[in-house]
Amino acid sequence: MAVLELSGLTKRFGAFTALDDISLQIERGEVHCLLGENGAGKSTLCNLVFGVHRPDAGTMTLGGEPFHPRGPAEALQRGVVMVHQHFSLVPNMSVAENLMLGRASAVLKPQDIIVRMEQLAAEYGLEIDPEARIEDLSVGERQRVEIIKCLLGDPQLLVLDEPTAVLQPDEIDALLAICRQVALRGKSVILVTHKLGEISRVADRTTVLRQGRIIETVAMEGADIRSLVRSMVGRDVQSAGSVLAAAVDIEGKTPAKPSSAAGPASPGEAVLKISDLVYRDPHGVPRLDGLSLTVGTGEIVGIAGVEGNGQTELGLILAGLAAPSAGAIVVRGTPVGGRTPQEITDAGVGIVPEDRHAVACIKELSVAENLYLGAIGKFSRFGLLDKSARRKAAEAMMRDFDVRASSPDVSMASLSGGNQQKAVLARELSLDPLVFLLAAQPTRGLDVGAIEAVYNRIRAARDDGLGVLLISSELEELMAVSDRIAVIYRGKLVGELAAGSFSREAIGAMMSGHAHV
Amino acid sequence: MIDEQMAVFVGSGLRLAVPIIFAATGEMLSERAGVLNLSLDGMMLMSAFTAALASWATGSPLIGVAAGVLVATAVAAVQAVLSVTLRANQLVVGIGFNILALGSTTFLYREIFGPLSRDPIPGFAQLNLPWLAGIPVIGPALANQTGLAYVSILMVVVTWLILKYTSFGLAVRAVGEDPRAADKAGISVAKTRYLGVLYAGILAGLGGAFMSVADSNTFTENMTKGAGYLAITAVIFGGWNPWYTLAACLLFGFATALQFLVPALQLDVPVALLLLLPYLLALVAIAGLVGKSRQPSALTIPFERGG
Repeated sequence: MAVLELSGLTKRFGAFTALDDISLQIERGEVHCLLGENGAGKSTLCNLVFGVHRPDAGTMTLGGEPFHPRGPAEALQRGVVMVHQHFSLVPNMSVAENLMLGRASAVLKPQDIIVRMEQLAAEYGLEIDPEARIEDLSVGERQRVEIIKCLLGDPQLLVLDEPTAVLQPDEIDALLAICRQVALRGKSVILVTHKLGEISRVADRTTVLRQGRIIETVAMEGADIRSLVRSMVGRDVQSAGSVLAAAVDIEGKTPAKPSSAAGPASPGEAVLKISDLVYRDPHGVPRLDGLSLTVGTGEIVGIAGVEGNGQTELGLILAGLAAPSAGAIVVRGTPVGGRTPQEITDAGVGIVPEDRHAVACIKELSVAENLYLGAIGKFSRFGLLDKSARRKAAEAMMRDFDVRASSPDVSMASLSGGNQQKAVLARELSLDPLVFLLAAQPTRGLDVGAIEAVYNRIRAARDDGLGVLLISSELEELMAVSDRIAVIYRGKLVGELAAGSFSREAIGAMMSGHAHV
Repeated sequence: MIDEQMAVFVGSGLRLAVPIIFAATGEMLSERAGVLNLSLDGMMLMSAFTAALASWATGSPLIGVAAGVLVATAVAAVQAVLSVTLRANQLVVGIGFNILALGSTTFLYREIFGPLSRDPIPGFAQLNLPWLAGIPVIGPALANQTGLAYVSILMVVVTWLILKYTSFGLAVRAVGEDPRAADKAGISVAKTRYLGVLYAGILAGLGGAFMSVADSNTFTENMTKGAGYLAITAVIFGGWNPWYTLAACLLFGFATALQFLVPALQLDVPVALLLLLPYLLALVAIAGLVGKSRQPSALTIPFERGG
């Protein structure tokens, strides 16, 4: 029997149709995966079911009754709960306080919550200290709190939006096991993901979305993974090769990478040398704790690690946005630690920052202005801007780097994420001099096509003799692109693997601090 | 002699602290919900004037207080519409209200009472509680207060209880810290913030009415003299905690009362300098402490539901 039934759901944002005529049934007691690339409409679909957005057309029924939630409160009341990509927990409150939020009686009764938490711990193995403050918990633990919050009210339908993106490998396994437990108890689970590896382990059925439409819904028993991939990206799998495998996380099927095998066998002289780097945040918490690393010319070094282990801070320091507390960073003989971004750029360092929107570009300015943000003086004559010269140069750069925009004068905000990132890459790789590139989470939020373009650019830069440091939370991405992977854990490098000896298990173990290899 | 002067000092310090305690306590709750009412001083001034007017017209200070609270709450309601529903800049809205309050009360006061009115306004009598009067030195000062002064302390207790033990208080804290999370937990961010602002309005109204009908039994132009701003400062100084905020209010009250004590002790300090003291103290307090206590993350940030 269907718990949730969607028929003809359509949702538009302005001129953009995010969902187009979606009809779908979620059965009782099933784990139903929604598979699709970024921008396929998965999150929008979840938000409609959870009442965050309202559909422009179509109907929903829940347990046979009409269901048109006007907000999350109404969805919750009807037994639909959701774990969002970004956690909805108040950081400076305790676990118990967060769990009481929005469902308590007039006077708080923490004891009731603690009793209920013990029940859930027994039923699903979801253990957590009710007195712990959210900001002191790891990402995996916070997610567990989210799930407990969802299960408190004995819901009918649990929606999980990209829950595994932030987890380390063993936490992912635990989460998928919990999903099965929830389904076993007669509740239904909608699991959103773009990783096929997970789907084949947990789903009863999978619905593939592409560009706001349902391509197919298949039962997973005996399903062909390759055909799912084809439905998801809309083209043949073989052509995309390792890039695609990395993007969708098909375990054990990553083909050998001709690119890195054929790359320069021995990296040349050191271009970046970090020694004993220490960084304490404004609260005095050590984020980097004696990190040393060398990147040579013509090599891509990947940094693997669970988020929050110092890789973000490393990126900020290399970009000149934070000053190290101790240690040295030298690029080709020039010390750059604690220098201004301008000095770092002059030393030949290109930066693709982690936060594209906040740091890498100014969305309100045009593409041309963004491309020459660091070189405004280049196109000024007698103090006046020569816009037509800049426009011409920008057009050439956009052609070279395949930045798709109707003109260099449109605002950066009007570009897709992939094209924004290509523009950032274009700017940074056109720097002169350029000896080193930092790429922090360069493919975050991009679709497969754009990811492929970014990988190709990074590889081409390496082949031109650049040293590249790639910081990524996607293990498959690191394994597909890097010549060497160093693992960061609690602000230190705890191990290193060379291309050819990469293994998910070994890296995963090091990421969680379990083993040194 | 010294004892008597100490009693006067303590008594006037408490008396001067009461309006700030009222206003700061309400404001603290509102800020915990994420709304800063810079209009606090205007609410107090309007309430002080309305309370004086209603008390003078009816002969009942109680009706005066009720009228003052009503007007301050109405101002708070408009502030809530502007800063919660219409998502206007909270600081600009607040400044606008303060200018409006000063202008309108001054104008109405001159129109109704005449420019140099000396009419006494019916006010509250002091309670003189015998069981408090027995405490040495400060006893008489504690006992010789109007009922409203005790209500102000009661409101601190009530506000603390609300924040710590009720689900409304939990909602207030969540909404001020992470409105998106609160929204997704099914809490109405707008409703919680409206209630927070109205609560600040009611308490600011009590504080303003206290000034005219319980403390001085008269209204003078701009009689709050920035008490609302001091209250906002006390909230920051008190680190958004009800008890520390109370302590900050008392500090400001006693600093102001020094202007009575110092001349009485025949110390040679200019009175003008003493008048400056609470404001100077406020600056020092904020400069020295604002880095350590963390303000509610969503303070002054309007909430808009997004994907």
